[in-house]
Amino acid sequence: MRRSVQWTLILGVLLALSFGVAACGGDDDSDSGEQGTTAGTPAEGKKGGKLTALWAGDTDNIDPGITYYQMGTQIIRATQATLYSPKIDDAAVNEPQLAESDPQVAEDGCTVTVKIKEGWKFSPPVDRVVTTKDIKYAIERGFFSNVNNGYAGPYFGGLDGAKVGADPGTKIPGIETPDDTTIVFNLKPAEGQDKCAGGILAQALVMPLAAPVPEEYASKFDKGTNSTYGQNQVSTGPYMIENDTAGKAIGYEAGRRIHLVRNPNWDESLDNRPAYVDEIEVQQGNDDATVMARKILEGQSLITGDQPPPPAILKRALTDQKDQIALVPGGSGRWISLNTTVKPFDDLNVRKAVSAGMDRDALRLTRGGEAIGDIATHYLPPGLAGYEEAGAAEGFGLDFMANPKGDKALMAEYFKKAGFSSGKYEGSEKLLMVGDNEGVGAKTAEVAAEQLRGMGFNIELRQVTHDAMYNKFCNRPPSNTAICPNVGWIKDFSDPQTYLDPTFNGENIIQTNNVNWPELDVPEINQAMNDAKLLTDPAERAEAWAEIDRMVSEQAPTVNWIWDKDVSLQSSNVLGVIDEANGIWDWAHTSLK
Amino acid sequence: MPPLLEVEDLRVHFETEDGLVKAVDGISYTVDRGETLGIVGESGSGKSVSSLTVMGLTRARNAKISGTVRFDGRDLLAASDDDLRRVRGNDIAMIFQDPLSSLHPFYKVGVQIVEAIRSHKEVSKAQAYDRAVEMLGLVGIPEPRRRAGAYPHEFSGGMRQRAMIAMALANDPKLLIADEPTTALDVTVQAQILELIERLQSEFDTAVVIITHDLGVVAEVADKISVMYAGRIVEKGNVDTIFNTPEHPYTWGLLSSIPRMDAPRGDELVPIPGRPPSLIHLPGGCSFHPRCPYVRDAHRKVDPPLEPVEGDPGHEVACLLASSTRRQLWAELEAGVKPADARRDVIEEGAA
Amino acid sequence: MAAYIVRRLAWVIVLLFVITLITFTIFTVLPAADPAALRAGRQPSPELIESIRQQFGLDDPKPIQFLRYIQDILPFDNDGVNFGFSFQSNTEVLPQILDRLPATIFLTAGAVILWLCIAIPIGTISAVRTGSLLDRVTMGLALIAISAPVYFLGLVALFLFDEDIGRFPLLPGSGAYQDADGFFGKAGALIMPWCVLAAAFAAIYARFLRGNLIDTMQEDYIRTARAKGLSERTVILRHGVRSAITPIITLLGLDIGILLGGAILTETVFNIQGIGRFAYDAIVRFDLPVIQGTVLFGAFFIVMMSLIVDILYAFIDPRVRY
Repeated sequence: MRRSVQWTLILGVLLALSFGVAACGGDDDSDSGEQGTTAGTPAEGKKGGKLTALWAGDTDNIDPGITYYQMGTQIIRATQATLYSPKIDDAAVNEPQLAESDPQVAEDGCTVTVKIKEGWKFSPPVDRVVTTKDIKYAIERGFFSNVNNGYAGPYFGGLDGAKVGADPGTKIPGIETPDDTTIVFNLKPAEGQDKCAGGILAQALVMPLAAPVPEEYASKFDKGTNSTYGQNQVSTGPYMIENDTAGKAIGYEAGRRIHLVRNPNWDESLDNRPAYVDEIEVQQGNDDATVMARKILEGQSLITGDQPPPPAILKRALTDQKDQIALVPGGSGRWISLNTTVKPFDDLNVRKAVSAGMDRDALRLTRGGEAIGDIATHYLPPGLAGYEEAGAAEGFGLDFMANPKGDKALMAEYFKKAGFSSGKYEGSEKLLMVGDNEGVGAKTAEVAAEQLRGMGFNIELRQVTHDAMYNKFCNRPPSNTAICPNVGWIKDFSDPQTYLDPTFNGENIIQTNNVNWPELDVPEINQAMNDAKLLTDPAERAEAWAEIDRMVSEQAPTVNWIWDKDVSLQSSNVLGVIDEANGIWDWAHTSLK
Repeated sequence: MPPLLEVEDLRVHFETEDGLVKAVDGISYTVDRGETLGIVGESGSGKSVSSLTVMGLTRARNAKISGTVRFDGRDLLAASDDDLRRVRGNDIAMIFQDPLSSLHPFYKVGVQIVEAIRSHKEVSKAQAYDRAVEMLGLVGIPEPRRRAGAYPHEFSGGMRQRAMIAMALANDPKLLIADEPTTALDVTVQAQILELIERLQSEFDTAVVIITHDLGVVAEVADKISVMYAGRIVEKGNVDTIFNTPEHPYTWGLLSSIPRMDAPRGDELVPIPGRPPSLIHLPGGCSFHPRCPYVRDAHRKVDPPLEPVEGDPGHEVACLLASSTRRQLWAELEAGVKPADARRDVIEEGAA
Repeated sequence: MAAYIVRRLAWVIVLLFVITLITFTIFTVLPAADPAALRAGRQPSPELIESIRQQFGLDDPKPIQFLRYIQDILPFDNDGVNFGFSFQSNTEVLPQILDRLPATIFLTAGAVILWLCIAIPIGTISAVRTGSLLDRVTMGLALIAISAPVYFLGLVALFLFDEDIGRFPLLPGSGAYQDADGFFGKAGALIMPWCVLAAAFAAIYARFLRGNLIDTMQEDYIRTARAKGLSERTVILRHGVRSAITPIITLLGLDIGILLGGAILTETVFNIQGIGRFAYDAIVRFDLPVIQGTVLFGAFFIVMMSLIVDILYAFIDPRVRY
């Protein structure tokens, strides 16, 4: 979970400016469009040393079977072996990690077979060789009611006998382990279908849930209402959370620190990770982004984590300390969602007019300008399978998404098509727009509202906390919120389904916790998605979802304004490597100079 | 042998935002060894300020002090702070009106006395404590050793004042200044305290200055009395003179406000009408004229000096009425004539 | 006295119960966010939400939830006193609070000593020399210190003196406490936080003491002390300050109680992993059991400190009897 304590940040920036202590040299007015290190090309690193990451908060959860977010994934990439892992420098491609070869997905998608490497071992105190039974248990426990993994349902829910919220210990008959190195996932077809969702399952085997868990050791922690396996986990990666002889993860102090040491049972020859440094320490509680960023830039052996540097520091560092910055596509985008069930956004031409008229560059400036991402031309973001198929940066040539600065003439044209001869919106009804009340989000909301007013809309902008924005308005269709200016999505892994299905499939609209914000419900799109979900070949999937991207983009359900880049910082002696799939430093590839 | 305490033309003025407050405006008096002087006056007459000044306790930064205070041959006003400190509590001791607020609430009574002793005498704590207990016994506190360990709030009002006296006399001072020592006490306790002061005075041969608004208090104990009004002494004399042949109308007023045991029940006390004057804007002429029943036009212009009364050595008065008139008026008052009914002719004639 | 303490302790329990109930009501009955939705992640299906609600016990009737929480606080059920489980880290809340307590206590204790060492001399001197240049300068500075938010002061301190990022790299700064070892290491890491936290308090206490002492010096017993011939120094310190400082005990007790409940801003700026930070993180993540636990601890400290202050009074001021 990312936290931006924005007032902290603003105060910090103000301070830095007013005291001039931040201004230590260099004209920072030069072109900030130039980017720092963008790709983490694996380089031969030096062994040894201790790397320290400065975080604001904690990981969302230390349990590999529960964690769902960026920081958790970052830990997993160092401490666990998942069946597959995204290629370090090409997020769109998965390669085997614990698995021996690519998954075998049956034609109908109803079985997925994976063979794993022999001789891979668990860290102490388990110390034994990993078998496929450990992967079976890992996935089973994701469904336990005392684990409740957040993505087990969407990606593994098709397994025969899998049920979200199952009693702890419940087996999933659909997972078979004919021998210690083979695992077979048997899926059942969806209602009225003869095909299964094995394609997405095979892609999801990069997720932390696919990291083995030894049942004989873990079952005692998977009892009761709350699993405590996370605090007693064993690892299969090059590192492990420092633990005691019983396996208690003493290196994890919630909200304070995470201390990783080398896993003595790790076999370098089996893994696709070099694991240069000896030790990794996560220091939490670095709330002030300015302090954090300056410590990293001026210090030694430090890297960022869950908090990007404030715009002012980023801007200066881009000119002075470019090699200490990494900017990579984060596999995410930001949207101003237009509710297609609320007049006048039920009219496609009105939506197109809004997209055409919006100065998206101005919106981007609210977050820090060009460096923080490219103006989107379609939905699937760079680094996600399907991006190239969807025309990459060119997109589909949709006229209303062509001009980053907005195209007033085109806007007028679409408004006329919608029946407003003045070329502006002519209705006078109040449109509820709910945005953030603090930080850059608030700024974005305000700029967007101003532009919408300029188009003739009568906007009632309500600014509330980020949580309330989601829980009380944007995630609740009954609230009839017309415009949500602060929404967006990030892929779960490099499969386009994870990006477009939750957000634009009409069948996923629910009354609470809804994330299909525009409430887009176009039968053809729904059907196309449901068909594409059942495809098994990654290339076919990319093609199909790129086509769905086109269909969604043509509906203009949101003002799709940016593909984010993730900004990471490193100290001058760090040779950082970015995990492009996760948009952040990869500890197991990073080394010290 | 010079007097123990000699105050000469003492003036204490305070500069305030409203103007110069002439709290004490040129007073002189002497106290001999073993003698008791009563200083009498209403509140605001300057009697307390003058005594505090003698002790060097008029500390306000805006105070302007002039005149001389000679104690045992030494000029206290010119003395250094440190010298003055050595005199205070050692040669001159003082007790105050409200013994509860005058004792520190957080320290045991014995400890407070020990503190007084040890600030002047090089004795051990134990010795000082024994002395404190002895003093408490001397002032009539039963079970003094136990009571020395008690806190002031655990004492009764009279006992507290006894403790104060014990503390004041612990160093065997030459002069004790008692500022309204009985005002806060019950009538019966008042008498006991006065007796105590008198007894101790004779035992220790201490000179005493008793400051009070109540002439009745000093009637029994004082040798000499000075009556103060608006920062000045308006009449002084020995105790018999003041009680039997007072010559200032203000003194008459004070005398008639003493409850008398021999007066018929129901006979009302005669308070002095009016209020003490503002010390910033003193009335011109005789300061007492706005309240004087015998005032004449001339009194509003001329400021009477304190002058000896003819044929009565040691008796001085500051009044513009003719001496004969004053005696006549006093005789009338003694005979029961109310001031308002005083014969105009007496005033007119006497003044002529 | 014993009876009084027993009676007061009984009240403490009642009070803590009421506070628990209020906290529970605010966060559970009138929640600002759904912890289950926060925990579920980005694709919360109704089944998943339901299962998480069950896992956290959020689907039980509110009174049952409250009873369960009370059981977690009291040592009567079989899992002992644990203050429940953090939604976020699935760990027992109590050990985490106890784990963070030393940092908060150390921070508070040092700051208290520091601010008293600053406030008492300054307050005393200012009171004795009312209107002097020193008085005016220190009281002016005090006003500034009182007005400057801890957060602001903390950042200024960091940018000036932090050994990593400061202009004058002199002192260990943000995050140093965690890494420091040993008493002196930790103390070194706390120098800046102590100063920042103590600044406003020192100013408040100095002003408070000054005011009190000016009033006290008008008391009759001060006149008596002078009349006894005590040195001015003794009069001021032993008689004046001794009395003037007494009301400060009340203030100090409450302030210590509040700070032990978490010096949130200081702990946040300097990244000291104490109770305050813990509470702050819990609120950000809507981690109910942790919020409840920290609130209860904070309340406990405040209530206990006020009890301690009242008992202390009996020793400091002999007039007070229970």
